[in-house]
Amino acid sequence: MKLTYILEIIIGLAFVIIYYNFNPEMYNFFPECPFHKYLHLDCPGCGSQRAIHALLHLDIQKAAGYNLLLVRSLPLLITQLAFKIYSFSTKKNLVMRFWYNPNTPKVIFAIVMIFWIARNLPYTPFNYLAA
Amino acid sequence: MEDQKPQEQAPFGQQPFGQTPFGNQGPAPKNWLVESILVTLFCCLPFGIAGIVNAANVNSKYAMGDYAGAQAASQAAGKWTKIGFFIGIGVYVLYILFFVVLGFGGAMMSNYR
Repeated sequence: MKLTYILEIIIGLAFVIIYYNFNPEMYNFFPECPFHKYLHLDCPGCGSQRAIHALLHLDIQKAAGYNLLLVRSLPLLITQLAFKIYSFSTKKNLVMRFWYNPNTPKVIFAIVMIFWIARNLPYTPFNYLAA
Repeated sequence: MEDQKPQEQAPFGQQPFGQTPFGNQGPAPKNWLVESILVTLFCCLPFGIAGIVNAANVNSKYAMGDYAGAQAASQAAGKWTKIGFFIGIGVYVLYILFFVVLGFGGAMMSNYR
């Protein structure tokens, strides 16, 4: 159990170093999303790699330009991580009740679908969302 | 909430936030919501979305007191999330292998997204 956590931390750190040092726009050993490659449409995750690169350089505005959904979901994900770390270190099983509210997944599903459709529309207010 | 309630009646607004409904035999099964959001954002997406849909099933079935249904939905959510995760990892590894085999020049053609 502990070993997997250590492995995850090492892999995570390796990814952070890679994404900090290499801009995915300049280097192309970063994999391209298969959805974008074959359908030439943006999926909800397109732009995440560039957004992570921008975020690691603390450029939130640029990151939001690549993938707004990722930037918007960060506060939630960070809170979840904090809960995880807290419950791991105090050995209590603390979970965010928010995730278990019956409406939460429905709202998230709606947001993801709207984001997915909107970022593929070629009209002015929407194409800012494109990756 | 009564047990005789038909399953189609979604419990919109019936559960006060954070209150445990009657008739549940245990804690809510893992709903994989966070994991499926991560898969949606970082990996292959249809599987992450299937995970989110199943997470919705877990929560609404648990709120209705259908514990067995919630557990089944939890397993489905876990299955789709893991499929998405491993396909994402697989694409990543394959791409890097492809890059290593072709060398620096070969992959220069494809432009990254």
